[in-house]
Amino acid sequence: MAFTPPRLLPLPLPPAAAPASTRAVSARHHGGRTAPELSGPTPRVVVVTSGKGGVGKTTTTANLAASLARLGLPAVAVDADAGLRNLDLLLGLENRVHLTAADVLAGDCRLDQALVRHRALQDLHLLCLSKPRSKLPLAFGSKTLTWVADALRRSPNTPAFILIDCPAGVDAGFVTAIAPAEEAVLVTTPDITALRDADRVAGLLECDGIKDIKIIVNRVRPDLVKGEDMMSALDVQEMLGLPLLGVVPEDAEVIRSTNRGVPLVLNDPPTPAGLALDQATWRLVERDVMTAVMVEEQERPKKKGGFFSFFG
Amino acid sequence: MATASVAASLPFCLLLSPRLFRGRRAVRWPRPIRASASSNASDVAGGERKLGALESRVGDLRALVASVPPAVASIQKSISPNFVAGFCVGIAFLAAAARQVIIRSRDHDNRGSVADLVRRGQLKSGQRGTAKLRTYDDPFNNSLVKIDEGTSTAQMFGKEYRLAPVRLTKEQQEMHQKRRSRAYQWKRPTVFLREGDSLPPDVDPDTVRWIPANHPFAAASSEVDEETAKQNVYQKDGVPSRVKAEHEALQARLEASNAVTKLPSDPRSMQHNERPMRSSGKPSENLQSSKFDNQGRQVSIESGKHSSDGSSQSNGPEGQ
Repeated sequence: MAFTPPRLLPLPLPPAAAPASTRAVSARHHGGRTAPELSGPTPRVVVVTSGKGGVGKTTTTANLAASLARLGLPAVAVDADAGLRNLDLLLGLENRVHLTAADVLAGDCRLDQALVRHRALQDLHLLCLSKPRSKLPLAFGSKTLTWVADALRRSPNTPAFILIDCPAGVDAGFVTAIAPAEEAVLVTTPDITALRDADRVAGLLECDGIKDIKIIVNRVRPDLVKGEDMMSALDVQEMLGLPLLGVVPEDAEVIRSTNRGVPLVLNDPPTPAGLALDQATWRLVERDVMTAVMVEEQERPKKKGGFFSFFG
Repeated sequence: MATASVAASLPFCLLLSPRLFRGRRAVRWPRPIRASASSNASDVAGGERKLGALESRVGDLRALVASVPPAVASIQKSISPNFVAGFCVGIAFLAAAARQVIIRSRDHDNRGSVADLVRRGQLKSGQRGTAKLRTYDDPFNNSLVKIDEGTSTAQMFGKEYRLAPVRLTKEQQEMHQKRRSRAYQWKRPTVFLREGDSLPPDVDPDTVRWIPANHPFAAASSEVDEETAKQNVYQKDGVPSRVKAEHEALQARLEASNAVTKLPSDPRSMQHNERPMRSSGKPSENLQSSKFDNQGRQVSIESGKHSSDGSSQSNGPEGQ
C-alpha cells in the first residue's frame, strides 16, 4: 500500500512551480476533502495496458471505472479485447451486453444504444468491442476506437473518462486499443517477466506519442518484499523509470469480488487492495503520482501488562 | 425417535398374551404402601383388601416375567442365523449404495459453476452485479488509514508500515525514455491486412499490420465501407443505417408486390400472389426476425431502434 504524505518529503519543484496536483495533495490531507479535483480537459482517454497477460489489467480497469463513477465522474469502460473479453464479468454486466461496437460499425445500432449502464453506478457505462465469437471488420484498421472516442467526445453527455482495457500482447488488439489514448496506465506485477513486457509496451506507447504513462504495481506481497523474495515497488519503478500511480497488495478479496461481479472498490468494509485502487483513482483524476511508498511492515512494540509481565 | 420406539415395541406387544397385556396395563402406577399401623377397624379391613389386590398384581407381574423368556425364545426360533446374516448384508449393501448416491450427487453438483459458488455461499443468487454502495470517505484519511508524518510510518488495517520516499527523478525518467526510444523503433500500424493478401499500391508497408486468418479482426469482408462505418459511429439519433436500409428494402418489396397484385384480373393469379402478400403484410415483423434472430431477449430493446425520435430503450447516457 502506498500513500502520499504531504510533509514527508521535500518536493522536487519550488512551491511556486509545483503542479496543481501536488498542491491538491496537500490540500487533500489538510482540508479533508471528499472528492478529488479533476485535472485536464474531458474526456480523458486512458488506456490500461501491460503487455503480459494476467497481471490485472481488467481488474484495474473495472475498479478505476467504478471508483470514478462513485466519485461522480462519468466513465465509459471500453473492453478492447475482441477475442477474450472479461470486463463485463467483473462489472457484473455479462447478461446485459447484447450490442457492441461492431454492431455500431455495421449500422445495427447507435453508439448510445451499445453502451451498457451499470445498475448501481449511474455514471458507469460499458462498451464491448465485439462479441467473443464474432469478427471485426478488418478494413477499418485501428480507427474503430478512435471514432468511438471522438463520438463520445462530441456527444451531449460527454464522459469525464474513457478507460480502455487493452488486450494482452502487442498485436492488432493492442494497436486498436492505444490508438485513441492520450494517457496510459501500465499495470505490472513485481516479477521480471511482467517487467520486460511492461518496458517494451512503455517503449511502444512512447513511440506512438503517449508520453503520460504511469505504472500500477499489482499483487505486491509486503512479507515477501521484506524477506527480499520479491521486488519492491521502488525497485520496479527504478527498472522502468516511470512514475507510480499506485501499489496494490495481493488480496484474496479480488477473487471474491470477481465472482460476485462487484468491483473491489465498492466493498464494504473496504479491503487493502480496494483502498489502494481508490487511492490510484484519486491520483489519476488529479494527475498526481506517488511520492512515498510503504515498503515493509514494522514490528510493533509489544505492550507490557498483565500477570506474566511481572516475569519480564 | 418416538416413532422408532413405537415400531420396536409394537411387535413385542403383539407377542404377549391378552391376559399378560391386560395385566401389564394394570401395573402401570404402583400404589404407595403404608408402613404405619392404624387403630381404626375399617382401616384394617381396607388395608387387607389393598394387600390382597397388591398380591394379585404381584402375581400378575410374576406371570409376566415368567412368560417373557418363552417369548424371546420363540423369536429366536423363528429368526434363523441365515436370516440375520442376510439382513445385515442387506443393510450394509443399502448403506453403501446410499453413500455412493450421495457422493455422485455431490460430484454432479456443477463444481466450479455459478450454482456451486451459490451453494458455497461465495455468490449470492440473483444479486450478481448489484452492490450496496459504500458511503464515500477519503481513501487517504479514514479510520483504517493513519499516517504519522513525524515518524514516516503509516498504519493501515492495524498494521504499521515504514514509508520510503520515491527516488525517481526527472533526469532518470528522461534517461529511461531515451533508452526505450533507441531500443524500440516502432510506428503504429494504421492498416490491417490479412496474411496472404496483396499489398495495395497506395499503402506504406511500414504502416501495415498483417493479421492471421484466425484473428478476431480477420473478417473476410466488411459489408459497409469505411465512410459508412464512421457515420454509423457518429450517428446520435434516428434509425441506424442498416436497419433503415433493410426497412426501405422491405418497403420497396411490399410496394412492388402490391403493384403486381393489382395488375392481373385472373383469380388464379390472385391466389398465386396471395402468399407473398401475406408474408409482406407485416414489414416490421419481418424486419425484426431477419435481423434479430441471434439477439434473443434483446428484441424488445432492438425494436426501440426503429423509432426515429431517438427515445429508444437505450442503456446509454444519450438515451436518458
